[in-house]
Amino acid sequence: MKKSIIRRYTQTPEIPTASTADVAFLLILFFMVTTVFRATTLHLKINLPKAKSTERILIRRNITHLWIDNNAKVYIDDNLVPKEKVATRILPKIAENPELVTILNIHEDIDYGTVDVVLDQLKEARAFKITFATEFGG
Amino acid sequence: MEFKEKKKRTPNIPTASMGDIAFLIIIFFMTSTVFTREKGIKMLLPERTESEVKVKPENIVSILINPEGALRLKASGYDGYEISPDKYSEVKRIVEEKLLERDTLLVVSLKTSRDAPYKAMVSVLDQIKLCRVTTSDGRELRANKISLVPTSEE
Repeated sequence: MKKSIIRRYTQTPEIPTASTADVAFLLILFFMVTTVFRATTLHLKINLPKAKSTERILIRRNITHLWIDNNAKVYIDDNLVPKEKVATRILPKIAENPELVTILNIHEDIDYGTVDVVLDQLKEARAFKITFATEFGG
Repeated sequence: MEFKEKKKRTPNIPTASMGDIAFLIIIFFMTSTVFTREKGIKMLLPERTESEVKVKPENIVSILINPEGALRLKASGYDGYEISPDKYSEVKRIVEEKLLERDTLLVVSLKTSRDAPYKAMVSVLDQIKLCRVTTSDGRELRANKISLVPTSEE
């Protein structure tokens, strides 16, 4: 047998790691850009009612929030709105996005009369898709 | 004169750990992020119509909520059936029974007094939403037709 005289190079295999930082920062930037922050954390005193049939709302984009606090004051996206003027606030939003879901965060001890006025306003604004925000349990 | 050959040193910043740092930041933000989950009871409001929608009285279960949170239920076979605030689960039983009887035609009319607390209305709505029956031919029925009506106390 003839012995090979060609010198074999022992090659150490390498994975190029120079660009991992770029990849990682790209990921950070991607998530930073695509993150949608919840617009509002109001300091309202709202105890949501409890319900066993509470569902998770999976959609995140087509929603708008409406609050009614313990003093029966109505807020839409950070603004205090007279309850008879809810329709005028919701109408432009519906025009922009007919699939809009209004999430009603209503304090549990509010009279139903107030809720009804708001529901009527929503009907007027053709915002038919609503969700009564509730907590799990009951 | 002395000529010393100056060694050219190219300055460099070690970048090997940059990736580690970046991923550390990603993981930090991933773990510290709290997602707000919206949860609630879905409803679809009806359109405002001038003409009244005619529903046969035997297809209606109407539930009246008074300001104290007590209920009065009216349906065929249950005329003025009273339910105290701690027995809301009765609503589920009766609505399920009617649901089997009337199938998809059933309309639940929730008549809440304007002075009743919102939580009473939600509790009853909850009971209606919990209703689920399976028909003899294997379909799952739910009480989908719910109308919310306000009432005034005289």
